Amino acid sequence: MKPVMVIGGGVAGIQAALDLADRGLEVHLVEKTPSIGGVMAQLDKTLPTMDCSICILAPKMIECFRHPNITIHTQSQVKEVSGGTGNFDVKVLKEPRSVDESKCTGCGICSQKCPTKVIDGWQEGLTTRKAVYIMFPQAVPLTATIDREHCLYFQKGVCQVCSKVCPAGAIDYEQRPEELNLNVSSIVVATGFQEYDPTELKEYGYGRFKDVLTAMEFERLVCASGPTGGHLNRPSDNKLAHRVAFVQCVGSRTHKKGYPFCSSVCCMYATKEAVLIKEHDPTSEVNVFYMDLKVFGKGFQQFVNRAKSHYGVNYVRGRPGEIRMNPLTNDLTIWYEDTANGDVSSMEADLAVLCTTMIARPENVELAKALGLELDEWDFFKSLNPLTNPVETGMPGVFLCGCSHGPRDIPESVAEASGAAACAAEVARRFM
Amino acid sequence: MRYALYLGCTIQSEQYGYEASVRETLPKLGVELVDMKGASCCGFPALNSVSKLGWHYLSARNLAIAEDMGLPLLPLCNGCHLSFVETKHFLKEDPELKNIINMNLEKEGLHYEGSTRVVHLLEVLHDEIGAQGIGEKVVKPIGGVKLAAHPGCHAIRPSDLQRVDDAEDPQKLNSLIKALGAETFDYPEKIDCCGSQLAVASGRTTLKIAGDKLKAVRSYGFDGLVTTCPFCFKMYDGRQRAIRGALKDDTLEVPVFYYTQLLGLAMGSSPDRLGLQMNMSPVDGLVERMTE
Repeated sequence: MKPVMVIGGGVAGIQAALDLADRGLEVHLVEKTPSIGGVMAQLDKTLPTMDCSICILAPKMIECFRHPNITIHTQSQVKEVSGGTGNFDVKVLKEPRSVDESKCTGCGICSQKCPTKVIDGWQEGLTTRKAVYIMFPQAVPLTATIDREHCLYFQKGVCQVCSKVCPAGAIDYEQRPEELNLNVSSIVVATGFQEYDPTELKEYGYGRFKDVLTAMEFERLVCASGPTGGHLNRPSDNKLAHRVAFVQCVGSRTHKKGYPFCSSVCCMYATKEAVLIKEHDPTSEVNVFYMDLKVFGKGFQQFVNRAKSHYGVNYVRGRPGEIRMNPLTNDLTIWYEDTANGDVSSMEADLAVLCTTMIARPENVELAKALGLELDEWDFFKSLNPLTNPVETGMPGVFLCGCSHGPRDIPESVAEASGAAACAAEVARRFM
Repeated sequence: MRYALYLGCTIQSEQYGYEASVRETLPKLGVELVDMKGASCCGFPALNSVSKLGWHYLSARNLAIAEDMGLPLLPLCNGCHLSFVETKHFLKEDPELKNIINMNLEKEGLHYEGSTRVVHLLEVLHDEIGAQGIGEKVVKPIGGVKLAAHPGCHAIRPSDLQRVDDAEDPQKLNSLIKALGAETFDYPEKIDCCGSQLAVASGRTTLKIAGDKLKAVRSYGFDGLVTTCPFCFKMYDGRQRAIRGALKDDTLEVPVFYYTQLLGLAMGSSPDRLGLQMNMSPVDGLVERMTE
């Protein structure tokens, strides 16, 4: 049987790839970054069970790596697609890693010795990494990669320290971009989402005030593998954050700046993050500002109830109008209307977390053109019919799962991934 | 850069220092100020809440004079600026009202088309001349002084209309203060209202609002407050003594300046050419520090 392609190596893409591979189908898993794992790998805990996120994901990532039927193409992007269902010719562009994947053991010595510090995107910009780096400790493949834009050798022709210290002789500055031409029977699109950038909502001061974080930044801050080892040291002055405010619906459910849709996960992840703070320090003051709580999933309402009664998280019904910062203390003041009683009041906080919405990945536009797919007005992929054919698209043989077609949580993404994999496998069988 | 200079009521009746400092500084920056013949009230302060027609008529009348002069209109007051911008906006959407107003304007040979560009002083200084251009004209930098910026509500809101700076994070006045060599930084109360619009309804509340801001400005270690709005200035400067009384705080002394007064000092003008002797807040000590 012909192989199947999965585009995107987040939890949805991983699940789809594993399902397909377990059915005996050969899978090409195409991932843009140097490691599979996606956003779930960056999360501290999952909800409502408070399981360690990477502990659930890493075994699946490794299974992908070891599975004889799965070929992982990292730093790769789909450029062109021709043909049709049962017979797609896909051109994939693989960026050079500058490290020989077959030789690198992932020891990390290159990274230790590299002199160049670069802002670490995987840690949401809260710390730095080196120009030659392994994306995160559980990266799959556990292979270093050279960031050519910042590497001294590629920029100025000097240094080459990594190649001198690499015990495996894996550094290869001569690697060129590679073009792969793959023939596949069907394609699963699992490109995921990106976090909304709340800089334009100036009333919240994101970008101006260091202690106003996005939820993803907070995930890294509170995570044991994060820049502070999981201690809630706020970025401005390293002070331990004792009073934390969560602002819901940032960039979502709005008709001004931002997007009109519900981000569908913020109520729950804010609750999870609030509980995490309380678990770190039960005396912390944690307030969640919300418009209304949309907690419809399995065990979700009980989770919120427990956050309130057991952990003492305080929920305030009101959308804050403004966040201000005292230049002397760096402390924040949240101004809000408590719509439960109509009072306008303010509250001090050491840290504010903006629960930003999920938006479409910018690559969707090019990918939709290549695949002949339709996008909705927010650049998410369009399902053939969201009610009856949620994972199918207008293009036979191409299937959707996860946040590629709108905000959704991990369980739904995984369920859809299995659905999309089943559909893709059916196509592969039909055209064998 | 040629503008029809619109002074408005507050400046002509009491805020002479603003006019003096504008006339002293802007020509040195290559701005030609042309006086308007027969300009009237902008209609804003009170009329806008009782008579839509009266407000827009007065406002459009001034716009029509500027139209006749063929020059962009430069009001010095935030309130007047917003009034003109709002009138342009509403008359564009309401041709019927525009016709009624034009019928009245015809009696004195005026006609309102809506083609006049309305420019704010901060736009002239920041967008047209630029902080760098101003920096080049500075001969006596105001070093070692921390100044708080107060852009004033009407300069930045409502954000749906053409306003001068960002409603939530206005930075133009800050960069202009820095261009003079002074230090400035953001403080939480920066975009808070001066309270003057409440003066008629509740004098005490007004003084409390203005006083809270002055207290905040002092608490962050600022040496003074800077604005370009005569209404705000009047609150912080002219009414500072009343504020001290209302807040029962005799120590609340914050020097308040028009930006153009500081601009003049930095460009080497003498304090009396800038009307600094007319500031009612205690500016003398700071002026001395800045000019020595």
